[in-house]
Amino acid sequence: MLIELSQVSKVYNQGRANEVRALSGIDLTVEQGSMVCLKGPSGSGKSTLLAIIGCIFPPTSGRAVIAERQLARLPDRFLTLHRRETIGFIFQRFNILPELTVLENIALPLLPLGVTPKERKLRAHELLERFGISHRAQFPAGQISGGELQRVAIARALINNQPIILADEPTAHLDTNLSREFMAIMQQLKAAGKTIVIASHDPLVFEHPAIDRTVTILDGRIHVP
Amino acid sequence: MTKSPNRWCSPCARAKRCVEPMRPALRFAMFLCLLLALDGALLFDGLSRRMAEYATLARLEVVTRGLGLTDLAVATEARYTRHPAVSDPVVPFMDHPGAIEHFPTGAFWLPPSR
Amino acid sequence: MKSLSVLLVFAAVIFLLASFQMVTQALSDKAKQVLAHTPEITLQKMSAGRQESIPLAYGEQLAGIFGIRRVVPRIWGYYFDEVRLTNYTVMGLEVNEMPEGGRLGATLAKGVMPGPADEAQGRVVVGQSIKKTMDLAGRTTFSLFRPDLSLKPFEISGEFSPDTDILTNDLIVMNVADARDLFGIPAGLVTDLCVYVANPKEIETIAKKISEALPSVRVLTRSQIQKTYQVVFGWRSGFGSICLLAALAAFVILAWDKASGLSPEERREIAILKVLGWETSDILAVRSRESVIVSGLACIVGMTAAYIHVVYFDAALFRPVLMGWSVLRPDLHLLPRLAAGDILLILAFTVIPYLAATVIPAWRSATVPADSALGG
Repeated sequence: MLIELSQVSKVYNQGRANEVRALSGIDLTVEQGSMVCLKGPSGSGKSTLLAIIGCIFPPTSGRAVIAERQLARLPDRFLTLHRRETIGFIFQRFNILPELTVLENIALPLLPLGVTPKERKLRAHELLERFGISHRAQFPAGQISGGELQRVAIARALINNQPIILADEPTAHLDTNLSREFMAIMQQLKAAGKTIVIASHDPLVFEHPAIDRTVTILDGRIHVP
Repeated sequence: MTKSPNRWCSPCARAKRCVEPMRPALRFAMFLCLLLALDGALLFDGLSRRMAEYATLARLEVVTRGLGLTDLAVATEARYTRHPAVSDPVVPFMDHPGAIEHFPTGAFWLPPSR
Repeated sequence: MKSLSVLLVFAAVIFLLASFQMVTQALSDKAKQVLAHTPEITLQKMSAGRQESIPLAYGEQLAGIFGIRRVVPRIWGYYFDEVRLTNYTVMGLEVNEMPEGGRLGATLAKGVMPGPADEAQGRVVVGQSIKKTMDLAGRTTFSLFRPDLSLKPFEISGEFSPDTDILTNDLIVMNVADARDLFGIPAGLVTDLCVYVANPKEIETIAKKISEALPSVRVLTRSQIQKTYQVVFGWRSGFGSICLLAALAAFVILAWDKASGLSPEERREIAILKVLGWETSDILAVRSRESVIVSGLACIVGMTAAYIHVVYFDAALFRPVLMGWSVLRPDLHLLPRLAAGDILLILAFTVIPYLAATVIPAWRSATVPADSALGG
C-alpha cells in the first residue's frame, strides 16, 4: 500500500475556544497504481485529508503512512523533504505564478533541490514536449490559454517523478472539454504507474471509468452508504 | 486561472501571442549593461576632466598666492558666509541688532571654533 | 511593480545622499588644494571683540622678528550694491608686492592687472559674476559710492578667467590707494597684513612671537584657515546628511513595512511554494537575493545619477544650501573623486539598513502555513 491511513483525526486549535475537529477516525488505503476520488461538499474535510496525504502536516491522532514513512514521526523539515520526493500537487485553479514563464513554473519544485539550471531546463523541456506545449516555454504563464495552463500544472506535478499525484478540485473552474482532457491525462498517468488521489465533487471526475474507487467524506468522516 | 483561447481576436494580438516576449531577466541584464556602459563613459570623461583640471588648479594657485585669498567665493550674502575662515563666532551678531540669520548658508559655512 | 517602486524611491534617496557627499567632498578637495597657498600668517586688529583697521606701523614692528620674509598690507572689504542687492568683495593691494603677483596676468580671461596708484588710478580687474551682474553692455566704466555718497569712477582693465570663479567671481581688485579712497580709510591704516615667512615649518613659532609682540592683534595661520574648511566639509556637511538621513530612515521604515505585510497574493505564492517542497529558508534565500539585487541596482542608479547631477548640472539641487540668497553665483565646476571608501560609506548607510529592513520581517512572514494553498 502506498497510502495507509488508520483512525486518522485532525483537530485545529486543540484545547482552545475555537477548536475545530476537521477529521475523525479516517481509515483509508490506496494501492500503488490506483486512482481514488475523494467526494464531498465544501467543509467536509476533503482538503484536510488531502493535506495529510500530501505530507503537509501530520494528523493529530491515528496513523498515516505515506510511501512507507509514518508522518507523525517526521519533524517539519523531513516532512517537507518527504513531500518533495513523494507528492506532486495539482491545485484548484492550478495556482501557477503568472509573472514567471511556463518553463520557470514547471521547474519550481526543482529549485530548492539545488538542481543545475541546465538540468532543470532539460527536465522541464521533456515534460513540455510530452504535453505538446514546448512552444510556450518562454511565455509568461499569465498569457497562455486555459488548456495550456492545465498541462503546465500537471507537468509541474511530475517534474520530480513523484509516485503520488494529488489533485485538489482540478476541474472546478474548467469547461467540460478541458475537464475531459484533464481526466484523459490522469488516465495516462495511472497507466504509467502513478498513484492518483483526486478531491472533487465534479461528476465528470468521480464517474470517470479510470477512477477505481470513490470515497465520500461528510463532516470529517468517511460516509459509507 | 483559465483563459479563453479566443480572447485575442485581432491579428496584432494574435501575432503578439505568437512572438516570444523578452524575459524579465534579459531585460534586467540589458539595463544593467547599459548602466555599466554609461558608468564607463562617465569614468573616461571624468579622467579627461581631471587632466584638464590640473591647468585650472595651477591658475587657482596663482590667484590664491597673488591676492592672498583665504576663502572660497561661494556664499556672498554675508561676510561670515563669504569669509568664514577669517571671521569669528561673534561676526553674525555684529551686522545689525535685528539682523536675520542667513539660512541655510549661515548653518553650513561656519566660522572656525577657536 | 512594488519592487520597481521601492527601487526608484531607494535610488532617489541614494541619489540625494551621494550627491551631497560628492559636492562636499569635491569642494573640500578644492579648498584643500587651493588654500594650501593662502598667506602663511594673516594679522587682523581686534578691539572690543570686533575687527578694525590695523596700523601700517605694526608691520614695521615685526621687522625685528627673525624668519619673516615679507609683510604686505591689504585693504579689503565689502561693497553693498543697493540697486542689485549684491555684495562685492573689494580688494586693494599692490600686486607686485605679493608672491606670484607678477603671474596674476595669466589668470585673466583678458586685460591686465591694475598697477600702482601713480600709474593706474581707478583701474580694476573684476570677476565674472561682477561683469554679468553690472550688465555693462560693452562699457568698461562704472562708479561706486564712497561713504560720503560721492561717486568714484572705475575702469575695467581686466577680467578674471571663468576657471578661477570659485575664488574670484565676486572680486573687484584694485590698488591700495583706490581701495582706501573708496572705503574712506584714513592714511596709515589697512584692513590686514599678510606675513610671509622664510621657513614654513616656523609658522607657528613666528605666529606666537607676533602675538607676544602685538597683543591686540589676531594672528591667523594657514593651518587655522585650512582647518575651517575641514570643519565646514567634515561633520558640518552632516547638516545636509542629517536631513537626508531622516529621509533614509523614513525609507527604511517603508521597506520594513512593505516586507512585513504580505498581500493575499504573496501569502498564496508562499503557500504554493511550500506545498511544492520549498522550505522557509529557501523562500528567505530568494527574498534576500531580491533585496540584494534591488539595493545593489538602486545604489548604482543613485550614484550614477548623483555623479551626473554634480558634474554636469553643477549640483543644482544643493545650490540653495551652499549659496543661499547670494545674488552672485559662481559656476562651481566640481569634479568629485570616487574613492572606494566613499562608495562603501554610502553602501553602509543605505544597502545594509535596507537588507536588515527586508530580510528580518521576511523571515517572520515566510511562516505562512502550506495548507492555505489548498481549497482554493
